[in-house]
Formats: sequence, C-alpha cells, structure tokens
Amino acid sequence: MMLRLLRTTTFSFTIIYVFVFAIAVALLGLLFYQNTFGLMSKQTDGIVDQELVVLSEVFSDEGAGVLRRVIRERAAWRDDGLYMLIGAPSGAVLSGNLSALPPEALSAGEGFFNFTFERPRVDAAGREVGVETREARGKIRRFKPTPDAETSFLVFVARDISTREALRKRSQALMARIGAATIGLGIIIGLVFSRALLRRVDSVNRTARAIRDGNLSKRIALTGAGDEIENLAINLNAMLDQIERLMNGMKEVSDNIAHDLRSPLNRIRGRLTEALKSGPNEKEQALRSTLEDAENMITTFNALLTIARIESGEGAGSMEAVDLVAIAEEMVELYEPAAQDAGFILQLKTAPAPPVRGARSLISQALANLLDNALKYAVGGTTIRIDVRKGSEGRVLLSVLDDGPGVPEEERDSVLKRFVRLEQSRSTPGSGLGLSLVSAIARAHRGSIALGDSSAGGDMRGLKVTIAFPAFDKA
Amino acid sequence: MRILVVEDDSEAAAHVSKGLREAGHVVDHALDGEVGLNMAGSGDYDAYVIDRMLPKLDGVSLLSRRRAGGDETPALFLSALGEVDDRVKGFKAGGDDYLVKPYAFPELLARVEALGRRRSQAPASVTTRYVVGDLEIDVITRTVRRAGRKIDLQPREFRLLEYLMRHAGQVVTRTMLLENVWEYHFDPQTNVIDVHISRLRAKIDKDFGTALLKTIRGAGYTIAESD
Repeated sequence: MMLRLLRTTTFSFTIIYVFVFAIAVALLGLLFYQNTFGLMSKQTDGIVDQELVVLSEVFSDEGAGVLRRVIRERAAWRDDGLYMLIGAPSGAVLSGNLSALPPEALSAGEGFFNFTFERPRVDAAGREVGVETREARGKIRRFKPTPDAETSFLVFVARDISTREALRKRSQALMARIGAATIGLGIIIGLVFSRALLRRVDSVNRTARAIRDGNLSKRIALTGAGDEIENLAINLNAMLDQIERLMNGMKEVSDNIAHDLRSPLNRIRGRLTEALKSGPNEKEQALRSTLEDAENMITTFNALLTIARIESGEGAGSMEAVDLVAIAEEMVELYEPAAQDAGFILQLKTAPAPPVRGARSLISQALANLLDNALKYAVGGTTIRIDVRKGSEGRVLLSVLDDGPGVPEEERDSVLKRFVRLEQSRSTPGSGLGLSLVSAIARAHRGSIALGDSSAGGDMRGLKVTIAFPAFDKA
Repeated sequence: MRILVVEDDSEAAAHVSKGLREAGHVVDHALDGEVGLNMAGSGDYDAYVIDRMLPKLDGVSLLSRRRAGGDETPALFLSALGEVDDRVKGFKAGGDDYLVKPYAFPELLARVEALGRRRSQAPASVTTRYVVGDLEIDVITRTVRRAGRKIDLQPREFRLLEYLMRHAGQVVTRTMLLENVWEYHFDPQTNVIDVHISRLRAKIDKDFGTALLKTIRGAGYTIAESD
C-alpha cells in the first residue's frame, strides 16, 4: 500500500510542490536573517569604530594620561563595551575591563576579530556564582606618542555579542525546524491526498476488473462529490451502459436470427428432401416455395442487419440539421398515390417547427415504415395523417395517425419489440421488424417513440405513433 | 457489351455470367483481385462488375488503381456492406453504381446495362430532348408531348418519365427509380413505385393506341417503342 501511495501522481505533484515551497521558505529565511543579524553586526562594528575615533582624538588632544582615565571610566559602565589600554613603551595594562589580551588579537592586525573571554557569573542579588564564557568582537588600534616613537600605545575596543549570538543560533535552529516541518507536513499531506485519490481510482479499477471478469452490469459507485472524478465516473458509467446495450443488442440479433431464420431453413431442408423423392410437378412447386422462402429470409435478414447497424451508431456521422416538415412532404408525395389506391386519404398537418439533428435517410425510412404499417393494418380506416409539431422542452414531434382498429393499450409496449405482431395481423406478410426499426431510428436520434390513441390528438380514432426528437442544441 | 465480372464466389459468378450472356453480353470472369486487375488492363471492356471483398486485392483498391491509370470504364460494386459510409467509399474509389448483396439478378442486369448506356452517351453534348416513338420530352422547357399533344405532368412525374426516357429500351428497376428519382436508399414494403408508374401511364399511354411504358415482370419497367 505504502509503495503504491508513493507512486501516485498526486504524491509526485505534492512532493514537487513541497520542494518549491521549501525553497521559497529558505529564501524568505535568508532575507530575514540578513536584514536582522547582518544589520546588527554592522551596527556593533560601527560602535567599535566610533569609540576608537573618539579615543584617538582624546589621545592626540589630551595625551595618554587622560586616555587612561577615559578608558577606565568607560570600562566601568555596565554595558557591552570591553576596553583595554596597554602603555608604551612599558607594555603594562594601564586601564580597561579585560584581564588579558585574547590570543586572536596577535594575528588579527587592524581588522575585526571574534574572541571569547571569561567573566564572573552574577546572580540576581549581585553575588558571584562561578565563571561564564562570553563571546565578543573587537579591534585593536595603535597610537604613537610621537611621530618617530618606536613603540605604540595599544587600544583594544570590543563589544560583548553573546546575547546576539545566542539569539542568532536560536533563530537558525528555529528556521531549520520550520523547514523540516514544512517538508514533513508536505509529505504527510501528499500521502493523505494520494490515499484519498487512490481510494476513488481503486473503485474505478475494481469496477473495470469486475466487468473484465464478465459482470457487465457492474457500475462505478458514485460518491456525490460532483467533482472531476465523479464526472469521470458518470461518463464511464454512461459508456458502460452503451456497451451493455450494444452487447445485449448483439445477443438479441443473434437470438433473433436463430429464431427467424432457423425455422424457414428447416422448412426448406424438409421440402427439398421431399422434392428429391417426388415427381417433376412437385419438384417445381418445391422450388417455387423455396425461392419465396429465400426472398422472405433476405428481407428479414436485411431488416435485422439494418436495425443492428442503426443501434450500433452507424449513420450517426451523417447527422445534420434537417427539416422534418420537408421530409414529411417528400414522403407524402411518394406515398400519396399508393394510399389513395388503398382507399386512404393521406394528410399532412404541420406547424412551424425548428430543425432537428438527424439523418434524412433514416427519418425517411422510419416514416416509410410507419406509413407501410398504417396502410397494412389500419383495416377499415379512411385517413392517414402525418403530423409535425413542436412539443415541450424544445422537442419536435413527428406522428403518424390512422383511424384503423388501433393497438390495445396493454399490447403497445410489446409491439415495439422485435418480431411481435398482433394476433389478428398474422395473415398479412411482414417481418414484424418494422416498428423495431422505427424504434431503433428514434433512439439513434436520442429521441423516443410512443404509441398512443389518435383520438387524443383530434378527430380520429385509431393508432398514433409519435417519434419525439430532442431539441437541436441538446442533441 | 463486354463485361468483366470480378467475384470470388464461383457459383455466384457463374450465375451472374450466365444471366449476362443470356441477355446478349460477352462476359469474362476473374476469381481474385489481382487476376481481375490484369484482365481489366488487357481487355477492352464496356463495364466492370466488381465484388468489394476479394482475395489478394480488394475491389475498391482494384478500381482505384484502374482509375489512377486513366481507365474510365463504368464500374458497379457488389457488396455485402450496404450502409451509407460503404457506398460513399465505393463512389470515392470511382465506382458508378453500388448494389448490395443479396440482390435479384434482374436488378444487376438493369444496372449494368444502364452503366453501359451511360458510357456510350457520355461524350456527346448533354441531351435536352428525348424521343421514344411519338412521345417526346424537353428537359429545358419541361414539356411532354405525345403525337403532338401536350401532356401536363407533376414535377415528380416529369422526373420519373425523364429517367425512364434517358434509359429508353432498358429495364429500369423499382430500386433504381427510388434511388434516382426520389433519392431514397431503402425499399418500402408498399408498392409505392407501381402506383406512381400507373399514374404516369394513365397520362402518357391511356388515350393513345400503343403503350410505350411497359412492365417487365419480376424486374421493373421499360419505356420503348413497341416492336
């Protein structure tokens, strides 16, 4: 688990982020450090330099005696100042508050140097309690009593910087701790994020594995978070729905082929076997019947293939803005004479409707199938009507109405299924696939098909089949 | 007409060849795409009938190569793939017509003969008048006359007659009419075309002695002078 967490994208991103953040913090710390401790250092050095200038003026104006007194006075002040005056040519310590010249002074020359010294530790009551080592920084200056003198007075001025140094060390430690905490916290947050994300990705993976193992109905559990992963899950689920639909469609097609083609094939085999044993007249009769069977099978087979292709999304590429009214007008023009011959009046009733996204060839075919059905099954009727109008929510409705016997309400769902034909229509030819084709075309347009009573729409009593096309921009 | 049939199903090919020969054509047959390509290169054919799925070289590639070489012989694709995309691919490769298996032989015959006719007419300037017997139509003025008498037709009836006249003497199937006059690529179960034809027939034949528009049983229609 740990190893997987470290390998996640989230963790890598978090580590990169923490790294960049740590660099930013370090830069900020450096800036802060230089602006405080750097400045303080400079100030200390400035004070030492100033003191030396003052002492040098005292020496040149007033002489060594006054300098000795001034240094004694200054050394007596209880502040951070440290002083020492060594006389010339005697080399004796004349005044000051340092007991000995630090060894670093010998090699330092004219520049600043750091050194340590010891002084009594004093408690709150002013009593001495042991010795403490302090840190200091200072400079040595040599004053010649006369321009040609061989030896010089030696003035040593320094400042006790122990307090500042302690503060500096503490700041450094603090910054190191902040840095460590930043990185540590970043890693922890990275792990937590990775784990949260990994859990959700794992749920997708589990679903994918289950589906690979054959459980096609499994779906990714939705958390309701509404974020991008949720969106991904929703889309994947929709894709799985489509795949499942296609798989089922495929299975249905093979079932249907088995159902509808096996029996005529059996019939043909039986008939031909019989015919081989019989006379020429029977043989010819058998051949004729076989030809007829073959033609019916071709029709059924073509219808099945067309349905399967439409359902698999073929033809979706040729979808464009089409005018249902124009399509209906063309279809009325094609069917009008045939309808009239069959004793029907074919009407077209249209209301202005926006274009829909569709394929002219498919919609025409659906309409042709509905008209074929009406001509075939609206026995005793006199009127067939195509109706195009606007529906609710921007949908456009295309209906075919007739005044035939209609379809009983309880059978309306089942006639949309393949091969279902109502009992009373068994005698008329047809594959029983007409309405399933229409239904497949409606679905290919993301629309729906509904069977209803044509009396609800006006003055007719009979069947009303309506295809509802979704509004153009939604398609 | 000399016709080259490229089809790998030898029984189907024999059936097609026999039918075409009976209709008076000379037929050569190739069993795979490469042989078909060689034969097309060596013989002077009036039409090709090419199956789309062939061993060695598929039908679309075969025709593309012939077209690239400047061969303009009209070609008809036979295919088990019948959707719009497949048709478009066939036409893009230079096919002139497309017939989906399984088909009825008269449909194939009618289409092949229509292709051959197209070729023999093509180089001439666009015909605007067609005459069959005493029936004549003018495509520009959209007028129809029979024995000098003007006949009024609906626009669709005119297009139907125009298509028949352009293929005068040839058999035109219901599917060809549906595809070329109405531009639909499906077969209605109702005999819609027959009714349109009988309406047209009532206008151009009924009041005149001889019938020019004839029904060919099991195949389609033809418009021709009586023989």
